[in-house]
Amino acid sequence: MNGTAKRRSDQVLGGAMIAMLALVLAFLVTPLLVTCLLAFDARSFLGPLPPPALSLRWFEKLVSLDYVATGLATSLKIAVLTTVIDVLVGTAAAVALDRGSFRGRGLLMAAFLSPLIVPAVVIGFALLLFLSRIGIVDGFTRLLCGHVVITLPYVVRTVLASLTGRDRRLTEAALVLGATESQAFWTITLPLIRSGMVTGAVFAFAVSLDDVAVSMFLTDPTTYTLPVALVSNMRASFDLTIAAAAVLLMAVSALLILVLERFVGFDRLLGQGLFRS
Amino acid sequence: MNNAVEFHGISRRFGGVTAVDDVSFSIAAGETVALLGPSGCGKTTILRVIAGFERPDAGTVSIGGRNVTALKPYERNVGLLFQHYALFPHMTVAENIAYGLRHRGADKREIPDRVEAMLALVRLQGFGARRPHQLSGGQQQRVALARALATRPSLILLDEPLSALDAKLRQELRAELKQVLAAVNSTAMVVTHDQEEAMSLGERVFLMQSGRIVQVGTPSDVYGRPDTRFAADFMGRTNWIEAQVTRRETGFARATSRSGLSLMVPDCSSDAIDICVRPENIVLSAADAADPDGMANSAKGRILNVALLGATRQILVEMPGGQQLLVMQANRVGDGLDPGKAVRIGFPVAACITMPASNRAAPNASI
Ligand SMILES: Nc1ncnc2c1ncn2[C@@H]1O[C@H](COP(=O)(O)OP(=O)(O)OP(=O)(O)O)[C@@H](O)[C@H]1O
Ligand SMILES: [Mg+2]
Repeated sequence: MNGTAKRRSDQVLGGAMIAMLALVLAFLVTPLLVTCLLAFDARSFLGPLPPPALSLRWFEKLVSLDYVATGLATSLKIAVLTTVIDVLVGTAAAVALDRGSFRGRGLLMAAFLSPLIVPAVVIGFALLLFLSRIGIVDGFTRLLCGHVVITLPYVVRTVLASLTGRDRRLTEAALVLGATESQAFWTITLPLIRSGMVTGAVFAFAVSLDDVAVSMFLTDPTTYTLPVALVSNMRASFDLTIAAAAVLLMAVSALLILVLERFVGFDRLLGQGLFRS
Repeated sequence: MNNAVEFHGISRRFGGVTAVDDVSFSIAAGETVALLGPSGCGKTTILRVIAGFERPDAGTVSIGGRNVTALKPYERNVGLLFQHYALFPHMTVAENIAYGLRHRGADKREIPDRVEAMLALVRLQGFGARRPHQLSGGQQQRVALARALATRPSLILLDEPLSALDAKLRQELRAELKQVLAAVNSTAMVVTHDQEEAMSLGERVFLMQSGRIVQVGTPSDVYGRPDTRFAADFMGRTNWIEAQVTRRETGFARATSRSGLSLMVPDCSSDAIDICVRPENIVLSAADAADPDGMANSAKGRILNVALLGATRQILVEMPGGQQLLVMQANRVGDGLDPGKAVRIGFPVAACITMPASNRAAPNASI
């Protein structure tokens, strides 16, 4: 192949890449735009786009619904508690996994990360059986357990990524300079993993707020999360309150992403360490 | 006076691997020792035992006369320079240097002055506010050194301090390191697998092979009087001549090599011997010249090839019986030492280091 042909093939490939990106972007963004539009639709039926008139009627209906308020309160409580537990347990687990060279370390790592792979339906059903077997029937506790199980991997993973083995060396450096193990943890390890902890916490919060599949199994008649309530209601009577709810949830997500950007920066969002070394 | 460090029968095993095998030594206060050996021979493990990261399976460690075998790293005042520096990435250079001072209970008001003094010592004034990733490799190495020295440890351990640098910087920093170590006047142990580094930094060299210290001595001792084939090979290029002693006379012995050369060597007890001749001790002269003065051993040969190394040349000479000898010669213009040329080689009795052929069976370096 001569020079120009090589260059041509590169250009073709580059063009294909851009086209692919545009396509993916369209697939991701179009539904969001349509939803936003529908949420403000003044019609009481699902008509052709664009809507002839706009209104806030679906939002008004949304806030007037009892189950939405209850569900949202539960969702927020569960998400906050889940995030706190995740950060404490997940960080401890990640630090232990990073330092330990004990037998069964690989197995433990796989166990901590498995909820990312195991289908949510399986997790939900298994948890339901297990929790009732050990006598936990309270809906709130069940939901909390379920959400911790499915969100813990995010914290473990992001914290592990920010440790990547160098923590052990730096901790040794601190010890030989006179710091005790706990001083070394506060002055060296914690600053190193802070970005990982924030990233993991935001992921955990978002996933908890959003989960339907696992929560579906664990709710009881009086305790349910917002997404579960919305899905059940949509089946009973379909109208555009769900679009309004979606817009609100999107706003929350955007807020979270803003927080992440503030604390960690987008480029590090996917769990690279905080510092170049 | 107490020795700065004492090892008594230290062993450390990892599963089936014996990384350190019944090692004993002592280092005098103020002395600089180079721990030299091939990769994986246990050098880092010895440092980690001294620093307190590894608990030995057997034996005791004393620092300054105190038994520290069971003490934690922060209960010993040891400075350690890690192979990869291990600077704290989230702290500035000044904070890195101050870390040890803060945790060893230095007076808060004196810390800034001490940090400045350390920066001056390693010639990095004005770099205090930078982060480690904003420094070059050599600068990072100097910060690590300043951090290790800041608390005035009575003992400083350096794990391959220069190995991450390129050759030129390495030489510069080697001289600088030597000056700094002399300036702070503390006891030091430098780990390296580079014999040049060991000989230039250490007042004594500890040569290690598979978990054991096989020879201890001044650099010129270990280089000039190696105990084993391993020691001779590890300290530098050598020529090996296998020979049989034929006659002993006062002060020297006559021997015949396997390839038929007759040689004069220092007196030795065994009959079957290996003779080690360093390449720089062999002199080349014109083939038809008379036997050069003082060269008890002399013979004709032919140049096989010449490798130019800059200031010196390595010249491979083949002797009539097939024995090949490597000769190190200054790279002088116009001396006509070209491949194919007939030359006369010569070396004195004193250039021959003899060891019993039975040494040959000693385990080889695991490089
Ligand atoms: N934590 C460990 N677990 C298992 N084996 C180890 C451990 N640390 C060291 N070893 C083994 O002990 C031996 C000595 O290791 P050590 O790190 O002391 O070598 P070294 O002389 O410093 O080598 P290098 O010059 O490559 O740094 C090696 O065979 C190594 O594989
Ligand atoms: Mg090492």
